[in-house]
Amino acid sequence: MNKLVQVGGAAPSFALAQQQLIKMPYALFLGVSLRQGSNGLETLTADRADLIGNTNLPAMHGGVIGSLLDITGMLTLVFLKALDRSPRLIDMDIDYLRSGQARPTYGRAEIVRGGRRMANVRAVLWQDDPERPIAIGRLQFLLPKT
Amino acid sequence: MSLFLKSLKELPPFGQALGMVLDEADTGPGVAVLLPGAERLSGDAEDEVFHSGVILATIDNTAGWCIRDHPDYAEGTSMATLDLRVDFVTSASLDETLRVRAVCEGFDGDIAFVRATAETLNTKVLIATGQATFMLGTPSTPNPASPATALGGCLE
Repeated sequence: MNKLVQVGGAAPSFALAQQQLIKMPYALFLGVSLRQGSNGLETLTADRADLIGNTNLPAMHGGVIGSLLDITGMLTLVFLKALDRSPRLIDMDIDYLRSGQARPTYGRAEIVRGGRRMANVRAVLWQDDPERPIAIGRLQFLLPKT
Repeated sequence: MSLFLKSLKELPPFGQALGMVLDEADTGPGVAVLLPGAERLSGDAEDEVFHSGVILATIDNTAGWCIRDHPDYAEGTSMATLDLRVDFVTSASLDETLRVRAVCEGFDGDIAFVRATAETLNTKVLIATGQATFMLGTPSTPNPASPATALGGCLE
């Protein structure tokens, strides 16, 4: 994952992704943090009582899962393309695969195709096992004008 | 929708955290939810607009609620979102309140199909449209044997 299909362009920038995160109040409210591993950028979100949608299971709210896919996709795009302004999400499509448990959630994304104006991004969330994703998302971003 | 108003008053914790309010004065179709702008919902500290995830979350929540409002819905049936597609038509200022309307368009056995729109309450600008599919009768209690196999991500 996290591969950049486009030829050329700037080197990935963790600093720019981090900078984008801290000017995104909603992502901070959800408690999203970033880390950079050998395979690229990863988002990490701790479980919290107010992120629950179903108190019986308990399970994370579908809106939290969608939001984390959105934020993971966006920050990965900023990271890989070293963007200094935010891309705009045009549309997204979420498949919910498993119930999100009350435990930490990890996210990764890759650029399926990055053009000059648009980027098609695939994002995935998991909890205990990267091979057992809880949700996947397809996102289309409009890139900031250069 | 008086029958189900009572159960709707029980917002999920995340609905409360965002500040969702059922629009009780709404006459339909479907169900409408209001979401007043607030700093924590901002997508960009400079632009002061609703984050796309906030809009998506409100659509997801309202979509689940409108199924409970459907005549074929059996009270107490659990449900889970299978998929959700959202088009973000334009951005919405945090000075505004969002109104999300969801209508259950079809109901076949355990599957329900929902369409939703989000618009600004005062200026009536279309902000986003959504389409979701739900499965009903999903497990509503934890499964200790395989905790991560239950489907879906959303409501009860």
